[in-house]
Amino acid sequence: MINRKILFMALLVFSGQLFATELKPFTADIKTPALVLQDLQGKTHNLDDYKGKIVLLQFWATYCGPCRKEMPSMNIMMKKMGDTPFKILAVNMGESKQEVEKFVSEVKPAFTILMDKEGKSIADWRVFAVPSNFIIGPKGKIRYTLFGGVEWNSDELIAKLKELSDK
Amino acid sequence: MHFKIIFIAFYLSFMATAIQAQEIKTIETDDADVEVRVFPAEGNRLLLGFPIEEGKSLTEEKTARSLAEDGVEVWMPDVLSALMLPNLKSSLKDIPAKLLIRIIKEAKKSGKDVYLIATGHDAEVVLRGASEWERLNKSSLAGAVLMFPRLFKGVPEPGEIPEYVDSVGKTKLPIMLLEGGRTPARWGVKTLSHALQENGSPVVAKIIPDIRGKFFKRDDSNRSEEVVASQMAGLIKVSLFYLNRNKVND
Repeated sequence: MINRKILFMALLVFSGQLFATELKPFTADIKTPALVLQDLQGKTHNLDDYKGKIVLLQFWATYCGPCRKEMPSMNIMMKKMGDTPFKILAVNMGESKQEVEKFVSEVKPAFTILMDKEGKSIADWRVFAVPSNFIIGPKGKIRYTLFGGVEWNSDELIAKLKELSDK
Repeated sequence: MHFKIIFIAFYLSFMATAIQAQEIKTIETDDADVEVRVFPAEGNRLLLGFPIEEGKSLTEEKTARSLAEDGVEVWMPDVLSALMLPNLKSSLKDIPAKLLIRIIKEAKKSGKDVYLIATGHDAEVVLRGASEWERLNKSSLAGAVLMFPRLFKGVPEPGEIPEYVDSVGKTKLPIMLLEGGRTPARWGVKTLSHALQENGSPVVAKIIPDIRGKFFKRDDSNRSEEVVASQMAGLIKVSLFYLNRNKVND
């Protein structure tokens, strides 16, 4: 019985190490790249216009399984951020409007979807895998990055993001 | 007259079978005896493939047969079985370079132009083998086809220039790089091409529209993926054509 308990604990610790996805403080020596893209309705969004807010900038694709899985948690995250000024910008990586609209009708993201057919922002932001995430502080500086799917509505993540309010 | 027609038909069908026949050749090395599936052909090109992570598949055999019919001899050494290693990415690092060199040397004995080919993480083995071959030998290999190569060292962190495995940028071998249009890796093709060119390799990169990663083993293939999977031999032949233009003569 004790052996089983030990085994269970060991598995728990081991699986935690394997699957824990954490925000990584951003230390690369680059200025925050510009980002000016249109959403699905043709409205232009400029990252600069969101200064004063914490921004989750995500690069995603319809063929990315983890992207599909995590987007509902991003909807909940928006609610859980409460009064904290917060914006999600999700940049689709080079797919057609038709493909993205089909995905949106199925997954129903409640946040802004941006289109980048030519991939300019993908190069500027040095994105080489999906989903790739950047957390930008209210002053426009990249504070954290995160690669891979994650439950964005976790209390731990929300608390960490809220800490950025004055940074 | 009828006899003549029957004889010619029989002769042609025999020849077609002979061309497509797969032989097993054994290469003895210090580390292990490696069995090689050989799809013989009369032409002057030999394609040496290292199917490792994905193991053996019907698609690759069909492709090899089709290439052999068109005069490209194909060799597929079963390196993992020889070393008693599992079909895993982690096995790649356990394949000694001297084993790869021994296999390449045997292929070169054919007198044909030897091209290397690999997909996914197996591309690391091809690059390691090629750079080690260049270090030890004066004669050149004709080129390498890297199909959907996955050569990141660890996870590519957002916002950072990715780090590649050590064998990237160590060879002068002409390289043809193929990537699917519906993979995140397509956005890294330019960066990877630059890294591969570091020691002088001429690199030609092509994006194949609508194709996802590992499309040849997907249950939910789209039409483009089905067509490309069925025409893989044609894709490889086009790649060899481009590599031939950059071939280094011995």
